Amino acid sequence: MDKKASFFRKSSVQTIIASIICALLGILVGFVILLIMNPSHAAEGMGAILRNFFKYNQSSTTLLYYLGSTLVKAVPLILCSEAILFAYKAGLFNIGAAGQYTVGILASLYTSIALGLSWWVCVLAAIAAGALWGFISGFFKAVFNVNEVIAGIMMNWIGLYLTNIVLGGKKVMDQSTSKTYNILSTNPKALLPTFLSDLFGHNQYMTIALPITVIVAIIILVVLNKTTFGYELKATGHNKEAAKYAGMNATRNVILTLVISGGIAGFAASMFYLTGIEQYSISSSVPGMGFNGIAVAFLGGLHPIGAIVAGLFIEYLTMGGQYLDTNYFNPQVADLMVAIIIYLCGFVLFFRNLMNKGKTKALTNVNDESASDKKKDANDQEV
Amino acid sequence: MILLIQYTLIFAAVLILVALGGMFSERSGIINLGLEGIMVFGAMAGAMVMVLLPADASKATIIILTMLAAAVAGVLSSLFIAVACINFKADQTLIGTALNMLATAAATVIVKAFNTARSDGTDFSAKLDYVTGHKAFLLHIGELEISWFIIIAAILLVCSIVFFYKTTFALRLRACGEHPQAADSVGINVYKMRYAGVLLSGFLGGLGGIIYIAAANSTWHFDYGVAGAGFLALAVMIFGQWKPERIAWSAVLFAVFRSLSNVNSGIDFLAKLHIPGTLYNMFPYIVSLIVLALTSKNSRAPKAEGIPYDKGAR
Amino acid sequence: MGNEDYVIEMLHIRKEFPGIVANDDITLQLKRGEIHALLGENGAGKSTLMSVLFGLYTPEKGTIKKDGQEVHIKNPNDATDLGIGMVHQHFMLVDIFTVLDNIILGAEPSKFGFLTKADARKRVMELSKKYNLKVDPDAKIQDITVGMQQRVEILKMLYRDNEVLIFDEPTAVLTPQEIDELMKIMKELAAEGKSILFITHKLNEIKEVADRCSILRKGKYIGTVNVADTTKEELSSLMVGHNVSLKVAKEDAKPTDEVLTVKNLCVKSKNHNKDAVHNVSFRVKAGEIVCIAGIDGNGQTELVGGITGLENVTNGQIILDGEDITKKSIRYRNTHGISHVPEDRHKHGLVLDYSLEDNMVLQRYFEKDFNKAGLMKRDDIRRYSDVLAERFDVRSGEGAKTIVRSMSGGNQQKAIVAREMDRDHKLLIAVQPTRGLDVGAIEYIHKAIVNERDNGSAILLVSLELDEVMNLSDRILVMYEGEIVGEVDPKTTTLQELGLYMSGAKRDHRKEA
Repeated sequence: MDKKASFFRKSSVQTIIASIICALLGILVGFVILLIMNPSHAAEGMGAILRNFFKYNQSSTTLLYYLGSTLVKAVPLILCSEAILFAYKAGLFNIGAAGQYTVGILASLYTSIALGLSWWVCVLAAIAAGALWGFISGFFKAVFNVNEVIAGIMMNWIGLYLTNIVLGGKKVMDQSTSKTYNILSTNPKALLPTFLSDLFGHNQYMTIALPITVIVAIIILVVLNKTTFGYELKATGHNKEAAKYAGMNATRNVILTLVISGGIAGFAASMFYLTGIEQYSISSSVPGMGFNGIAVAFLGGLHPIGAIVAGLFIEYLTMGGQYLDTNYFNPQVADLMVAIIIYLCGFVLFFRNLMNKGKTKALTNVNDESASDKKKDANDQEV
Repeated sequence: MILLIQYTLIFAAVLILVALGGMFSERSGIINLGLEGIMVFGAMAGAMVMVLLPADASKATIIILTMLAAAVAGVLSSLFIAVACINFKADQTLIGTALNMLATAAATVIVKAFNTARSDGTDFSAKLDYVTGHKAFLLHIGELEISWFIIIAAILLVCSIVFFYKTTFALRLRACGEHPQAADSVGINVYKMRYAGVLLSGFLGGLGGIIYIAAANSTWHFDYGVAGAGFLALAVMIFGQWKPERIAWSAVLFAVFRSLSNVNSGIDFLAKLHIPGTLYNMFPYIVSLIVLALTSKNSRAPKAEGIPYDKGAR
Repeated sequence: MGNEDYVIEMLHIRKEFPGIVANDDITLQLKRGEIHALLGENGAGKSTLMSVLFGLYTPEKGTIKKDGQEVHIKNPNDATDLGIGMVHQHFMLVDIFTVLDNIILGAEPSKFGFLTKADARKRVMELSKKYNLKVDPDAKIQDITVGMQQRVEILKMLYRDNEVLIFDEPTAVLTPQEIDELMKIMKELAAEGKSILFITHKLNEIKEVADRCSILRKGKYIGTVNVADTTKEELSSLMVGHNVSLKVAKEDAKPTDEVLTVKNLCVKSKNHNKDAVHNVSFRVKAGEIVCIAGIDGNGQTELVGGITGLENVTNGQIILDGEDITKKSIRYRNTHGISHVPEDRHKHGLVLDYSLEDNMVLQRYFEKDFNKAGLMKRDDIRRYSDVLAERFDVRSGEGAKTIVRSMSGGNQQKAIVAREMDRDHKLLIAVQPTRGLDVGAIEYIHKAIVNERDNGSAILLVSLELDEVMNLSDRILVMYEGEIVGEVDPKTTTLQELGLYMSGAKRDHRKEA
């Protein structure tokens, strides 16, 4: 009994359970929406979303091909969420990841299509662009004390309009289709090297982006938990004043964190667009990838490995929308489900408290004083 | 030039309303990053009313019902924030972001379903046309073509200023954003006041949403959401230091830039500069970033904003 | 009991928090027109009991009677309706509001929802005159003194026609002179028929104003006594259970070399345009404890901030062991001889969500003992933390990996003291090192500080507790409004003299200490 209780009190276990509850509730609400839209076909619709590419199960090659596509599309989502959770651990809400991702698109497509450079140069350019965008937010935060969320939002739009101007030019964009030229035909050497492509039904978009994503997640895990740098960042995130007291360089850490976070977001863009799977077209709103990354980061319990699982799940659902019968439903229903799941992630704390209920008596140390301390800490936070 | 004034007035009206909405929410202690989403819901509801109203409906009917629908939709959608952030103490940045995503996805789904149903399965678009509705709001003063929306926004601005400084209710609301424990100790229900703040932001945000899409356009693609207007309003609010009269003039300032991106080719000396319209779009963001940097030392956000209030933890 | 005129009776109250019983079967009876003291140490359950009476907490058991009728107080509104008002320990005032707005908040006079402040102003001015509570109704709370803020709190209660007034440790933030004034006000209020509950742990104050006194100890009710018939010594032993001497046994200081020299130091204030620290100069030698005394908010925090690097210095010099460190980084100061037990252990001293071991190396994680090529040496950190915890008796549920947030305040403070004392240092700055701790922990930390002195450290102690100041220090410097206004010898001075300095009533024209 005791053992069981302590298992459920473990914060990692609770996080996982809470995330699963969010996902299930989200799917349930999604089903209700389908029911409202078309009661007689709702079950079929939900089946299509969840069955997803497994409907090709008669042919393992096709199945693996579509599995591959899902993996490829999950890569930027996962990397964006890694960028966000990394900054979050240092106490920074990098809502600017969306813009950093956008300028990452700008850099990778401009270098590959207009300048005709090799893939690894394009990747470095994307990282640099994202990092620069992160740096600007960080600079404003550290030097002028502008809230990083506000600075990030501004930088998102500046990044978007800049990208529209640059990528809308004749060198990069096919003016007749209003899409950027396909890298495959203009500059194949800018394409990322393929990886296990044959295994996944000759999916040409299966590139080294996949293993690299896993490696990035592991590196972030190690940096956060094993290094003095991670120790500093997390200390700053938990308590900025204490970090200052301890002699940590807050200015440098804020900027460095957002530079790294931005670099990862920019990198995410290159890991997607340099597969050639998609072209950029002029957009009137900031690409949602960075925002979705926030969602994935929270759904993944703000854990680098959790983000991989959550990213795959979210991408799986989103792709599922395309398997809906458009006579009855439109594919955005899946987006709606994803948004609901993210919304529900806000309730994780509540779910966890629910799990802790009844067991609180065992926590003898949580006394009156520490409750008021918590409130005080919260008050100390910068707004 | 007339066009520039018209556009400026429209954008200013939108920004004032939505930024005031943000202000009421933050003054009560809740950061509202979901203004964008609230606007989308308001815009959608208003547009649907305009589409559904019979062609021979009177101007007054159209105006009243459209505004009402937008406001109600805004209030309802702001409940997403209120419930999560006040009752469940959720992360306010996350919830705001989620609401924005939710709104765009929901609006797309709903409008598409709406169109599909109305067209017997021939129209799958996320677009609504409301030419009659749009025209109903127009009002001519000499050469200047303005919209009822602007007049309504001006009235609401005056009301907000009076309300903010002169009423019991607003005094209590502001206390909750500064020192909720103090408010609680004199018997003010902090949860209720925060609900009021968030719902007020829903009301104003919803109205801002319909003005944004209907004052200058007669058609709207809902898969675009409201293209960042909510975030711009947030910048206006901060620029305006969480005070209604300052918000008003910062909104006008921002609106001028925004309008320039739309009409710069129509103004001779600007057209000669050959600056792409997109660049004007960028201006307000760059300007606000710089201004924020210069003023952040004096900026005074409500002290308790962003911190969930817990009655037990005192 | 029937013929007694009790205005408030709290009978057999029990209030639990997760893991702790804050009030266990407590009974308190307040007579009309009396001043009733509620005495107990920190954590005895006084504040919880008052919060129950004020409707902030709902008790698990027990009844409350008002004028003999049982009442249910579910929130502060109910309390106000019953005429119960409270001055909280941490003032419940909105900084950016005016005095008037704060007084009327929650009970605003209005017409159709619009404020009618003119009436309110008249009423407040009348009350202020009647009870001699001077306030400026249009000043913002953030601009007025603590004493005036307290008068605002009292006016808030009077404005609401409260007849039962609760004062929660009202004297902690006041000068001796302001305390005298408050005592006078309380007596006047009682004479006017108000009934007063006065929470405190200061025996002198109880002797001065209170008619009766109820004593709590560790959440339990000990008894109620008539103050006039009870000696201070008796009260003290009722409060603590056994006689504790707060006197620290120490020998005379043998100061040697000069360790810290502060010359004409100025630090700008964050709240107003004046200097928070103005032209402060003093020296601290190895082997002595120099104490900065003063009322909270007279520049002590900023002075320490300037010396440790947490605040920017606008003028002057700080010399540590012959080296000018005025412009050096916090890290440099940390690693070149300054240890600092900070004023607020939660704000500065600890990362509450880190484990004990991670907090033990907060300023040292990068040193080669704990860091190899950027990687933390986990085993070494664990070992070091265990050694420190053992030596300084830091108790925690799960040892080195306990999350500090879950530890008690006393153990958190001991952890900080352990960490700061073990680091290489020439100067130990201890700010309010015993705030909010129980007697045992206070004794322990006092002994440790004296030990440090005897081992040759220079010690700069900043404290608001006069007992601590008198017992521990070898020299006392008094700070008032950002300046050092006097130096006294703890052996020859009196509390009265200190109070005069602290309240600005007396100052020496001194150049340097």
